[in-house]
Amino acid sequence: MDVKYKINRLEATNSIRPLVDRHWEELRTAKARGELVGWASGPSFIFPYAMGMKCHFMAGYASYCGGIGAADELLKAAESIGELADTCSYHRLHTGMVEAILKNIPITEQAKLPMPDLMICGRYCTEQAHYSEAFYRKLGIRILPLELPFVFREKDRPRIKKFVLRQVKEIVIPTLEDVCGKPFDYARLSEILSVLKQTAAIRNKCWEFLATRPATWTLWDYAVSMAPVIYMMGDPKGIPYYENLLKELEYRHKNGIPAMAPAGEKYRIYWDGWIPWAFLGKFMRKFTPSGAVCLCGRYPWEMFADPESIDPEKPIESAVDWLYGNHGIATHLAPKGAIGKIGELIEEYSIDGMVMFSSKSCRMWNLSNLDVIDALEKKYGIPGVVIEADMIDPEMVSDSQINTRLDALFENIDGRRK
Amino acid sequence: MKKVLAKIDEITADPYRYVAHLKERTGKKIIGCFPMHVPEELVHAAGMLPVVIWRGNELVTWGHSHVPPYNCGVTRTFIDDAVKGKLQFMDGMVFHVRQCLQAGEFPLIIERNVKPAYMEILYLPPIYEGEAIKSFLLDDLILFKESLGNFSGKKITDDDIIKSIGIYNENRSLLGRIYEIRREKPEIIKAKDVMKIVWSSMLMPKEDNNELLKELISKMEKQEVKPEPDRLRIILVGGLCQTINFDILDIMEELGLIIPDDDLYVGSRYFANKITDFEKNPIKAIANRYLKKTPLCPTKSVWDIHWADEAIKKMKLNKAKGIINVIVKFCPPHTTYYPDFKSVLAENNIPELAIEVEHEIISFESLKTRLQTFTEIVGGV
Repeated sequence: MDVKYKINRLEATNSIRPLVDRHWEELRTAKARGELVGWASGPSFIFPYAMGMKCHFMAGYASYCGGIGAADELLKAAESIGELADTCSYHRLHTGMVEAILKNIPITEQAKLPMPDLMICGRYCTEQAHYSEAFYRKLGIRILPLELPFVFREKDRPRIKKFVLRQVKEIVIPTLEDVCGKPFDYARLSEILSVLKQTAAIRNKCWEFLATRPATWTLWDYAVSMAPVIYMMGDPKGIPYYENLLKELEYRHKNGIPAMAPAGEKYRIYWDGWIPWAFLGKFMRKFTPSGAVCLCGRYPWEMFADPESIDPEKPIESAVDWLYGNHGIATHLAPKGAIGKIGELIEEYSIDGMVMFSSKSCRMWNLSNLDVIDALEKKYGIPGVVIEADMIDPEMVSDSQINTRLDALFENIDGRRK
Repeated sequence: MKKVLAKIDEITADPYRYVAHLKERTGKKIIGCFPMHVPEELVHAAGMLPVVIWRGNELVTWGHSHVPPYNCGVTRTFIDDAVKGKLQFMDGMVFHVRQCLQAGEFPLIIERNVKPAYMEILYLPPIYEGEAIKSFLLDDLILFKESLGNFSGKKITDDDIIKSIGIYNENRSLLGRIYEIRREKPEIIKAKDVMKIVWSSMLMPKEDNNELLKELISKMEKQEVKPEPDRLRIILVGGLCQTINFDILDIMEELGLIIPDDDLYVGSRYFANKITDFEKNPIKAIANRYLKKTPLCPTKSVWDIHWADEAIKKMKLNKAKGIINVIVKFCPPHTTYYPDFKSVLAENNIPELAIEVEHEIISFESLKTRLQTFTEIVGGV
């Protein structure tokens, strides 16, 4: 008889939305309080945070817009100024938002951000950096540039780390001091890292419940919980959020309540690439009826996976080590490093199959997906599929293509089990 | 002139055969340099032959087992050619992995599936302010030089690099001269032939290409042409990293347009900016050329100069009436710039048309209609 699978929803994650709403509300009202506002791409917002600036985070804003259902209207506004559909949807989302504000095109109020005093351009993704340049051209907004290369070979890491540290010391800090009119606040940076360290440590305990069989929660639950370990870093409210979550997971585990009713998952899936922020419900509904749960992925594991390495006494080095230290994530974005990282996750979370979420408008996480699957399949004997869609652009999401490929993946796993 | 153009036509009609034969003829190692910023001079100074990797000549088949179809033409065809074994004459390949995200595909795919004797990556940073960028760039080039030396077995001296720079600079001057002549009498040559001339420079040993160009220039200088003042002058902009389908250029000319100059990669961008002050520190001089902000390249993240302003300058210099933006499909550095480019041209009442060019599918009829409409608008019909 067919099992009717259903997700057991967590209570603790209900409290993330108010935290996230408050974060964006504080950003929206910052100018009224006389605070400086920054917009940041790439993982560079920690530095303006240290200076007390209210700062947006490009991917975080996109996920927020996806969550509140505002993405589509912003993308349409972008189209009106000639943005082409192949362009990064995060880029289009921002140019659409600015266009809507400048031209009074009606959009969701919560999606309107104050124009920034500074664009902090962390060129981690080369394409995300282009939106800063566009706003300089359009609005003359000052840019603080920071080149953050992916590490393609381990031997390059020391010199890239040195290069990034040098940029932080010679460009980032002096520019922020100039814009804010005060010395760089190293003490505040240490505080932020200290809170982050505590938050990420509890989060890591929660991760252990993704490794249990059956799983106690899912990747989607973690995805909506990511803000405290990324763009809300330094906000102490993230600590009780994760404490509460951990408590619920421990309770579930103790009482035999799995993430998936009635008795746990059939397939344990690795998810590669961005989270489909505007379509979380849709994707959950695609996996759940088959008894599949997504449990881990490179992108969500980017967020300070190794809190022990955070040293608040060495704040600048810690901030840079996140990307370029011994466990630095900048290596995982180059395809060869991806093989290593995904392999670790496959082992740690007892994965049955891989889904590579290939965003048509973003190639950041797509690099060499098919070769990565091939290499991992040979090593671990598990299958993988690529599904093509987008993080927020509904025009790029084809249900039938995704359904067919997921069905093929599940059948493939079944076949190997026999 | 016809004879020289026929020779160039032969080379560019089948670059695979030409480069493979070149290897046999010279006995030198061939190093494929992915467009647009790999400093070929260093490869040349190592006694090897740099060739710029080109957009392939077939529909992509095997390549799509490695890269998604929503990557640009040169990315997909290069991988397709490489995994099919069509590039086996290349002893080595060099990639600038921070040029765009797609360029990041190459190292793993090539390493796993092609395994050339030599593969190198360059990080070449964007042109941001500060000494850290300059120093990182310089280190990148020094490491590249060392790596080339190790592979070629030849210690590359400053004198070697200076000599190579001289040869490359001469090539830039010669191509520049051809463009000057075309600017004076644009009827002298078809746009596709100009593109082939630049492409030949990307494929041939520069010494050979220099001789060929000298011969061509001498013929072009002497050749008289009948002016065709009714033709509408336009400037082509973009076409990053790859050649444009030649038929598109033909259609433009058939419709009464004439192209006295361009801002294309397989065009004026390739030979822009000679390397200067290179006698004392040639590597630094190569770095300084890379750091030039014009012609503006959107992959280098320059924001204080506007690409559209530069294009307008070029348009005025050539007494042209409009601009055609040639956007390679799935080229994010260009597409992210496009709305700003378009708006500046609109503010200046300059007729502009954007055409997206794909490797495989081009609907010539609809393109022709759009170009015809544009021609009528520019011509004031």
